[in-house]
Amino acid sequence: MKNELNMRCVTSKNALPVTGAEQAVYALVEIKAGTGTSLGSLPTNFSLVLDRSGSMDGEKMDNLKEAVGYVADHLSDNDLVSVTIFDDQVETLIPNQQARNRGEIKDRLTKVIARGGTQISDGLKAGMAEVRKGYAKDRVNRILLLTDGQTWDDEDACLKLADEAGKQGIAITSIGIGDDWNEKLLLQLAERSHGNSHWIQNPVSILDAFRQEVEGMQAVAAVNLRVTARMSPGVKPKRVFATVPMISDISGKAVGGANITADLGSLDGKRGQAILIEAHVPAQKAGRCRLGQIEVTYDLPSEGIKAKSIKTDVYVTFTDDAAAAAKVNAEVMNLVEKVSAFKLQTRALTEVEAGNIAAATRKLQSAATVLLTMGEDDLAAAAEQEILSLKKTGTLTAAGTKKLEYGTRKLTMALK
Amino acid sequence: MKCTECNMENIEGAIFCEECGAKLEAAAASDKSMASDNEGAGLVLASPSGSKLEIPAKSEVVVGREDPFSEVFPDLDLTDFGGADGGVSRKHAVIHRTDTGCTIEDMGSTNGTYVNKKRIQPHAPQEIKPGDEVRFGKVAFSLQAA
Repeated sequence: MKNELNMRCVTSKNALPVTGAEQAVYALVEIKAGTGTSLGSLPTNFSLVLDRSGSMDGEKMDNLKEAVGYVADHLSDNDLVSVTIFDDQVETLIPNQQARNRGEIKDRLTKVIARGGTQISDGLKAGMAEVRKGYAKDRVNRILLLTDGQTWDDEDACLKLADEAGKQGIAITSIGIGDDWNEKLLLQLAERSHGNSHWIQNPVSILDAFRQEVEGMQAVAAVNLRVTARMSPGVKPKRVFATVPMISDISGKAVGGANITADLGSLDGKRGQAILIEAHVPAQKAGRCRLGQIEVTYDLPSEGIKAKSIKTDVYVTFTDDAAAAAKVNAEVMNLVEKVSAFKLQTRALTEVEAGNIAAATRKLQSAATVLLTMGEDDLAAAAEQEILSLKKTGTLTAAGTKKLEYGTRKLTMALK
Repeated sequence: MKCTECNMENIEGAIFCEECGAKLEAAAASDKSMASDNEGAGLVLASPSGSKLEIPAKSEVVVGREDPFSEVFPDLDLTDFGGADGGVSRKHAVIHRTDTGCTIEDMGSTNGTYVNKKRIQPHAPQEIKPGDEVRFGKVAFSLQAA
């Protein structure tokens, strides 16, 4: 029987030493579109929610208009699109409709003038209402939010909307331009809705981000992707990280008792998805040991496929052969290293927020060392810069924080 | 397992220290044994004119042509080696270093990657070793031990 998706599961070691103690094992679960699977069989339902506040004036607005023109030109007649613009007021410029009125979409955008402040939740709410009008299970339902400013006192309302969107299978891709916006909020909007987030420093890159989004929607191979791991008795799941399109710690939602249930949204068939599981295995005698079973389920509504499942059992061997037990899988090790850099960076920022400057400095120093070892010289230099800033001012710079937040999360995406 | 950098006690089998992120000794030792088999360690790409391009010590090294406009910054930028005229794509190929050696993978480049004058299939990593000629589009190098 042909599977639309393929799953591959690799552990950090094939052989573990017999130590008489509990030990950690890492498993990489990779999900890809099967060869011969046609991508993009699902039409899209795309809601653009765009910041038109005063600070967007000039180059940003010009590039934004061009990028919306690209979207209009590259969606199919069958796709649905809407455009909502917001400052501290909201206007639904293009209500949810088929994407065939390309001229009208571009024309209406041309007339938009930057003005006012930034109130993201109102814009997001209106954009959600538009995407809901066209919501269907056999569409790729998605919101693209673009802003260049701080929103005031409505972060919680934004996060609530992202939670609702995530539950309904509407992913939010959040894009921040420049340095003056809340990266924590934008990243959480994406993470809570199984979406993506970008930091754009140069307005000319807006078009690239929009293009990536349209191409991603048109490459969806399956929706409602879920990975379930049922551990053998005594094996404890500890942490779970999604790694595509960015590293994200999903342990809080995914780990429950002896099982892992990770909801991953839609699968971009070109990029695939990979999750990293850390589990603790109890002491064992020499011999083969079953860690558990991994199951991937997905829907592909255009083919009438609902909750199709692929399963595999995961084994390791306990051995007294020290040389065999010392061998580490380089691919898994590489991913664990990237996740480790991400974790250090995240914890450094948490320490800064809590006012623990000394602890934050130590974590950033560790992050810089790890990044340097990985050959990520740019990110290591950014961490060093932030250490200096912490020492001088007790705070991090806006640009440096964004570089570290986005840079370490996207370490897995260098080749995608 | 104690971290030699920060003295934090980590669970057996951990690869990186939970506290400071340092590679833990057991993992570092096995990594070393991998590196000793690793033919990709200490390699350079030498151009016909004699210029050398050191292959960074990373498990994945992207070869291509820098294009700040598209935010593409490969590890090995062939712009100064005639990359633009020589048909080098922005993300042309990737050199992988694994525990079994060194491979090169064409990333679906427009003008192809060649090993010893034979075009390799895109996304099908092929083993390379010192002495091999590696060509990206029209830009040729010889792979040499550093």
